[in-house]
Amino acid sequence: MSQSELTMSTGHEVLMESSPYGMEKKKLGMWIFIVSDACTFATFLFGYGYMRVGSQNWGTPFEFSSILNGIIMTFVLLSSSLSMLAAVRATQAGQKASANKWLGLTMLLGTVFAILHLREWFKMIGEGWRLFYNPLGGAAQFGACFFSVTGLHLTHVISGVIALAFIARGYNQGRYDSSHVETAGLYWHFVDLVWMFVFPLMYLMNAAR
Amino acid sequence: MSSNQELSMGSYAGIVIGLMIIVGIEVVLTYQHLSVRTLLFALLCLASLEAFVGVMYLMHVKYENRLLFWTIFPATLFVLVLLNYLWPDAYRMARMSLGR
Repeated sequence: MSQSELTMSTGHEVLMESSPYGMEKKKLGMWIFIVSDACTFATFLFGYGYMRVGSQNWGTPFEFSSILNGIIMTFVLLSSSLSMLAAVRATQAGQKASANKWLGLTMLLGTVFAILHLREWFKMIGEGWRLFYNPLGGAAQFGACFFSVTGLHLTHVISGVIALAFIARGYNQGRYDSSHVETAGLYWHFVDLVWMFVFPLMYLMNAAR
Repeated sequence: MSSNQELSMGSYAGIVIGLMIIVGIEVVLTYQHLSVRTLLFALLCLASLEAFVGVMYLMHVKYENRLLFWTIFPATLFVLVLLNYLWPDAYRMARMSLGR
C-alpha cells in the first residue's frame, strides 16, 4: 500500500499524517540526498575554480579531440535523461515492455558515457598525467582536480546504472512500482545536471586555444 | 509524480535540444579568447541556466508542491554562497602561509 493510500481517511480516522510536500517519503529522501550531493560537488568545483583562476601556470591540455569527446558524452547523457523520462512515463501508464525498453536504453547510454569517460582517462594516464604530476610542466594540481571531480561524477553514473538495473529487475518482478522508477529517475537527472557543470569547468576551461 | 504529465515527450525533447544548444554556445565561447575570469563567469551562468531548466522541467519541480521549491532552493543557495565566501578565505590563508 502506498503512502498516499495510507493517508486517505477511512471513514473517520486518518491512518498517517500526510507529507507537507505532498510526495512519498522515498522521493523526499531522494531530494534530501540530491541537495547534500549537490553541495559535495559544489565544494569540489568551488575549490577547483579558485585554484584554476588563481594559478598563473595552470595550462590548457585539452585539444579539440578531447572537447569533441566531451560534447559526445554530453549528448549521450542528455539523451539518457530523455529515455529516463520515457521510462517513467511508460511505468506510470503500466506499459511494462515499453518501460523495460526505455530503462534498458538509459542503462546503455549510461554505460556508453562511462566507457567514453574511461577512454579519456586512460588516454591521459598514458600521456603521463597523475594525481600530482603534470607532464606538461604546469600546475601539478590539475590532475588531482580533474581525476577527483570527474571520478566522483563517473562513480555516480556507474552507481546509477547499477541502481537502474536493480530497479528494472524489481519492477519486472512486481516488487517495485512506477514511484520507484521515478525516484531513480530523479537521481539520474541530477547526475546529468551535475555534468552540465563538470563539462564546462573541467573541459572547456582547460581547452587548448 | 504530481505533474500529471503536463509536458509531452516532444516538449521534453525540445528542452533537451535546448540544453544541447546551450552546450554548443559554451563551446563557441571557449574559443573566443576571453580572459579566464570572464570565461569562467560566462560558463557558470550558462551552466546554472541549464541546471535551473533541468531541475524545473526534467526533475519536475515546477509541477511539485511549491513548498519543495521553497525548501530546497533558498537553503541550497545559502550553502553555496557560504562556500563561495569560505573558499577564497582558505585560498588567502594558503597564500599567507606560503609567503612566510
